[in-house]
Amino acid sequence: MTRFRRTLRQTFTIARRDFTATVFTPIFLLFLFAPLIMGAFGAVGGLGAASVTDGAQDKAQIIAILPAAESRMMAEADTQLRGIFRPGEGPPDLTTQPASADPAAQARNAFDRNDIDAAAVLYGPLAAPQILYGPRGDRAAGYLATLAQTTLAAQQAGGTLPPIDVTKTRITRSRGSVGGQHQSAFFAVFGIFFLTLFLSGQVVGTMAEERNNKVIEVLAAAVPLESVFFGKLIGMFGVAVLFVAFWGTVVGQVTTLLPAGAAAAIGDLRPAVGGPMFALLFAGYFTMAYLLLGSVFLGVGAQASTMREIQMLSLPITILQVAMFGLSSAAVSRPGTWIATLAELFPLSSPFAMAGHAANAPELWPHVAALAWQALWVTIFIVVGARLFRRGVLQSGSARPFWRRAKPH
Amino acid sequence: MGEEWAVKASGLVKRFGDRRVVDGVDIAVPTGAIYGVLGPNGAGKTTTLRMLLGIIEPDEGHRTLLGFDSPRDASDHVGYLPEERGLYPAMKAREAIAFMGALRGLDWKTGRARAVTLMEGAGLGHAVDEKIRKLSKGMAQLVQLLGSVVHQPDLLVLDEPFSGLDPVNQERLEKLILVERDRGASILFSTHIMSHAERLCDRLAIIAGGKRRFEGTVDDARGVLPQRVHYTPHRPDPAIRGVLPPDALPDRDGWRFELPGGGIETLLVRLIDAGYGISGLSIERPGLHEAFVRIVGQQEAQP
Repeated sequence: MTRFRRTLRQTFTIARRDFTATVFTPIFLLFLFAPLIMGAFGAVGGLGAASVTDGAQDKAQIIAILPAAESRMMAEADTQLRGIFRPGEGPPDLTTQPASADPAAQARNAFDRNDIDAAAVLYGPLAAPQILYGPRGDRAAGYLATLAQTTLAAQQAGGTLPPIDVTKTRITRSRGSVGGQHQSAFFAVFGIFFLTLFLSGQVVGTMAEERNNKVIEVLAAAVPLESVFFGKLIGMFGVAVLFVAFWGTVVGQVTTLLPAGAAAAIGDLRPAVGGPMFALLFAGYFTMAYLLLGSVFLGVGAQASTMREIQMLSLPITILQVAMFGLSSAAVSRPGTWIATLAELFPLSSPFAMAGHAANAPELWPHVAALAWQALWVTIFIVVGARLFRRGVLQSGSARPFWRRAKPH
Repeated sequence: MGEEWAVKASGLVKRFGDRRVVDGVDIAVPTGAIYGVLGPNGAGKTTTLRMLLGIIEPDEGHRTLLGFDSPRDASDHVGYLPEERGLYPAMKAREAIAFMGALRGLDWKTGRARAVTLMEGAGLGHAVDEKIRKLSKGMAQLVQLLGSVVHQPDLLVLDEPFSGLDPVNQERLEKLILVERDRGASILFSTHIMSHAERLCDRLAIIAGGKRRFEGTVDDARGVLPQRVHYTPHRPDPAIRGVLPPDALPDRDGWRFELPGGGIETLLVRLIDAGYGISGLSIERPGLHEAFVRIVGQQEAQP
C-alpha cells in the first residue's frame, strides 16, 4: 500500500470514528433540532413584538380637517392610492373631521388625544393646506400632501379624476439585474457565514477528547498527526453536511409552500454564473470556508488543555468569523475594488468573498484558482496545527529537515 | 519479513529543555525475540519507546523498525500499548479493538470478528458489547492490549504493560505475550518489575539516567554479580572467620559470602581440615533484581 493510500485510509478511519461518535448520540438530536428550538423562541418573541407593533399601528392615524364634500373625495383618493402599497407598508388609516371654529387649534389638539396616535394632521384649503406631523410622521405628512393634491385635481376635474386605459406587460430580463446580483452575492456571503458560524466552531474542542482520554498516544503512534487533524476535520464536516442536508430539505419543502409573489421575489436573485453553477460553487465555498476556519480552530483548540480554555476561545472565534463576514460583505458590495481583491485573496475570507464574486461576475476560471488557493491554505493550517501540537503537547521537537538527516555509516 | 533486527536504534538522544532525557541509547531487538527495556522511574524508557515509534522525533540518532527507516512506514505492522492507557469511553469493547486494528490497516469486519475471538480467549467474552466506561480498569487495559495485537503485528511494543494489573491479569498478559512470540512477533516492552522481565525476556537493556547501562541476556545480567555461597558448619565457632573469605557475613544459622574466584573446593578442604565440617552448603545465583540494583546503582534504583 502506498504511503498516500495509507494516509487516506487512516484519515477516514479517524473521520468515521468522529462522525459516528458525534451523530449516534442523544446530544446530536438536540444539536440537529437547535434551529427549531431557536425558531420557536423567535416565533414566540416575534408574535409578542408583532402584537405590540400591531396595537400601536391600530391607534396610529392621519387626520384631514375638511368640509364634508372634500372629505368624501379625499377618502376616495385614499382608497385609490393605498392600493399601491404592500400590505403592512401603507400609511396609517385616514380619518376626516369637519373643521371647528379654530382648525389650527383643532389640529394641534389631535396630537394630545389618548384614544389615537395622530401621525399627521391636515387643515386649511386644499390648494394651500397646513400639515402638522409628529415624530416619525414625515412620510405620513407627505402622503397627506399627495392626498390633498389628488383630491384637488379630482375636484377641478368635476368630482373624479379622468379614467385612463392602462396596459401592463411583465418583462423577463435576459440577464440578472445588478440589484439582483448584489442581493445574490450578499445572500451567498450571509449563507456561508451563517452556516459556518453555527457549525465550524464545534471543531475547536474535538482534540480535547483525545487528550483527556489519553487516546492521542495511541493515535499518534499509529497515524501521522496531520491525518488525525484532517480526519477529525472531515468527520465534523460530515456532521455539518448532515445538518445542512436535513435543514436544506426542510427549508426546500417549506419554500414550495410560499406564495407566488415570494417565489417571484426569490426568482429575481439571478447570479452571474447561473443558478446551477452558483449552487455548485456555493457548496464548494461552504466546504472550503468550513475547512479553513475549522482547521484554524482545530489547531488552536488542540493547544487548550481544559474545557475552560476551550470555552474561552469561543469569543475570539466568533469575532474572527464576524470580521470575515464584514470584510466579505464590503467586498461584494464593491466588486473590482482593492477591498474586494483583498477579501478574495485573504485565505479566511476568500470563500465568502468568492461566493459573492460568483454572483457578480460570470467568469469561472477565478473560482478554480480560488478553490485551489483555499485548499492549499487548508493544508498549511493543518500541517502547522499538527506541528504545533506535536511540539507543544507531545513535547516533540520537529523532525530534522531531510537535508540534515544523515544515516550512520 | 527476513530482517535480522525488528528494531535497531543507535545514538538516540532526546532533550527536554536543557535536560538530556535520553542520552545516546542504542537498542537492537532481534527478530522474534522478547526484549525488555528495564530502568527505574524516570530513566527514559518511555521516551525511548516513543522515539522508536515516531511519536516524538529524536534530536539525534537513527532508528529502523522492521527494516523501515521511517516508523510511519512500519506502522501497519506494529502494535503499541502506551504507558498512559487510553480508550474512547463511549465505544463498545469490540468496536474499540476493531478501531485500533483499523488504524493499522485491518478492515473493520475482520477487526470485529477477531475482537470477539481475542476477548473470549482472554476471558472477557461477556464484555464484548460493553462500553469501555463500564469496564474495570484492568479489563479496559486488557481490551487495549488486545487492540494492539488484533492486526497481528510483526512488532509489539508495550510500555509498562503490567502496571495496574492484578496478579491474575498479569499472568494472562504474560501468556498473551508468549502467544504473540510463538506467532512470530517480536516483542519490546518496558518495565521496572524484574520478575516479569526475568521470566519473559530473551534479551534486555537496562537504562538509567537516560543512558544504556547494560545490554544482554538475563543470564548475562545476573552474571554481573558473582554467585553467593551459603555455608553452615557443624558447630558455631567465632574462630571460623579466620578460615572463611574476608567478605563472609554471619547468617542466622551459618555464613554467606561470594563464591571465591578459584572455586569452592579449596575452601571446603580447609574447613573440613579445621574440623568445622559441612552441615549445609548451597551456591545461589543472584536474581535480576540484585543485578539491576548493582547496574543502575542503589541510589537510582529507588522509586
